Amino acid sequence: MRIELKDIRKSFGEKEVLKGVSLAAEGGRAFGLLGRNGAGKTTSIRILMDVFPADSGEILFEGKAIDYRSVQFGYLPEERGLYPKKKIGEQLIYFAELKGMRRSAAAKAVDGWLERLGMAEYRGKRLDTLSKGNQQKIQLVTALAHDPQIIILDEPFSGLDPVNAMLLKDVVREEIARGKIVLFSSHQMNYIEEFCDSIAIINGGQVVLSGELHEIKRNYPRNRLVVRSGQCGEIASAFGGSMEGERDCVMITLKSPEDKGQVMRRLTEGYDIDEIKVFEPSLNDIFVEYAH
Amino acid sequence: MKQFKVIFKFELRNYLTNKIFLGVTIFLVALIGVVMFFPRAAEALGGGEDGETEGSPEAGGRPVMLLSVPSGEAGSLMGEAFAAAFGRYNVRVLEDSLEEMEAQILDGTAECALVVESLNAYDYYVNNLSMYDRNTETADEVLKQLGQMQAMVDGGLSWEEAEGILSSRVSHEVFSLGKDQIENFFYTYIMIFALYMVILLYGQMVASNVATEKSSRAMEVLITSARPVSMMFGKVLASCLAGFTQLVAVFGSAVLFFNLNKEYWGGTAAVASVFDMPPELLGYMLVFFVLGFLIYAFLYGAIGSTASKLEDINTSVMPITMLFIVAFMVVMYSLADGNVDNILMKICSFVPFTSPMAMFTRIAMSSVPFHEVLISVAILVVSVFGVGVLAARIYKVGVLLYGTTPKLGSILKAIRKE
Repeated sequence: MRIELKDIRKSFGEKEVLKGVSLAAEGGRAFGLLGRNGAGKTTSIRILMDVFPADSGEILFEGKAIDYRSVQFGYLPEERGLYPKKKIGEQLIYFAELKGMRRSAAAKAVDGWLERLGMAEYRGKRLDTLSKGNQQKIQLVTALAHDPQIIILDEPFSGLDPVNAMLLKDVVREEIARGKIVLFSSHQMNYIEEFCDSIAIINGGQVVLSGELHEIKRNYPRNRLVVRSGQCGEIASAFGGSMEGERDCVMITLKSPEDKGQVMRRLTEGYDIDEIKVFEPSLNDIFVEYAH
Repeated sequence: MKQFKVIFKFELRNYLTNKIFLGVTIFLVALIGVVMFFPRAAEALGGGEDGETEGSPEAGGRPVMLLSVPSGEAGSLMGEAFAAAFGRYNVRVLEDSLEEMEAQILDGTAECALVVESLNAYDYYVNNLSMYDRNTETADEVLKQLGQMQAMVDGGLSWEEAEGILSSRVSHEVFSLGKDQIENFFYTYIMIFALYMVILLYGQMVASNVATEKSSRAMEVLITSARPVSMMFGKVLASCLAGFTQLVAVFGSAVLFFNLNKEYWGGTAAVASVFDMPPELLGYMLVFFVLGFLIYAFLYGAIGSTASKLEDINTSVMPITMLFIVAFMVVMYSLADGNVDNILMKICSFVPFTSPMAMFTRIAMSSVPFHEVLISVAILVVSVFGVGVLAARIYKVGVLLYGTTPKLGSILKAIRKE
């Protein structure tokens, strides 16, 4: 299963919000869509879900123009909200029915998900009687109950306590294992790093970086060493390094990656070293670099 | 279509299980019950007292009218004539001074007094002069008739002959070939008022329903789950059916209660006429109610989608409410004036936003050629679909716009672009 956005452009009035966005996500893998606020993530998601059309470009599912009658999306929007005054079970069944399920099947699926998320006891309660985290779990059911092929989760972990975050992680892993396309949009880079195999960073309506996350990281020049030692000051002055954020760490920039072995030897022979590793940027570093 | 059905059922269930909806319906039915059973209850409670006073009208508490007439035969004739003309009064000849008479009126012993000087002049005394006081008109008539009789007697006729001439009655019968406006007035008035109330009430409900979905952000999920046209038509048609159900409950119970108490209302022609509405008019009412409701509810729904907060709704819907009130005023003014076929009403009966009330009023109160009715309904049906689709498109653009309420121009531009 593969979904692809090709050269999507969209303007609102005079403002061009998307300037040729292209990205692709595959089944059984999680895809991270990153970008600062107002970069064009939500617009891309809405176009993908056919909320409004793109000015130009195409959306392909399995290599062919997408037919929205046969592809189901599950969506957890960043702006959470359902009917606050309505009973939880009733509104979840309604949303599942809107997605094309029969009432009895919808009720069964909703019950199953409420059970899975530990929310079965709240089925007959009004939504506004629940805590924010529990409301979010209810909202997650609207994205999953109809068993969609493509699941779009916008900031899924915000507002969840560690236990609920763990539960959500398990659910997401299960869905990925079932071959679903899972598209994450988040500013919490640690979650993206944990789940996503490939990413795309949007900035100013354009994809400024995309690809497999581990390749992106490996493609960074491997000419920096991070050294952890009690003699950081001395190492820094001897090798022209700079003190890094972490305590007892110094970063040494090599003239060439080939010098790596020689410098490591000099370090281990001359100083009391706890750890030496080739520096790989975190997703956070990459994001700040590309989305800034 | 399946989505429309799901939305329609969900929205309808929301209305029918809404406590306010149920409360208002039950209250209205109970109120109508009280009104309709009132004559029966009044008779049951007051029947005993009537029995006691039947034999002695004086003791029944008729108000007192004091009368001062010139002495002599003419005076006694006047006394008899006034006593006959003012049947609802206990007419007593004034024996005291004028000051005493004024005191009696002021302390409430007597309600009023007539001090007649001649056939051509009298004074009328009353404490507070009511807007509806017609006593001087009656007194004028009595004295005028007495004067005419006196002239005839002076001319050589006997009193009996003169009285016979003056009291001759002309019988007549009215054949209204079109509509009887007196008979139709009450139910037309009630129906127009019901239409006005239901459209305003439910229109606002549709608008706030949409705005609530938007402000609670349920819209984020809804807009990605259902087509805007299904959303709009589902919501509006559900509110239409809910409004209609409420009307049927209220009017149905009114008809039922009236029939249960028919004999107690027998003498009240206006009330009886309301429940004697011709079935074809009821059919027209249904057609114009549904179409009028839909066209306004679509507009209200579209406007609701452009408001980000519930508080903005009242300002946003103002232009539509004003349009509707103007239509209502034109119809009500023409109805009160009795001329429902004036040029303004004729124009209004073909304009989609005014025709539901204007054309229905003309059909009820006048004779409108069938082809005109057909054209009006056809224009309205086409407009309802047009406005419905336009409303769905405004809705689609509007629900995604947060922040300040967008201008109409920018929404239309966005729709054109789509």
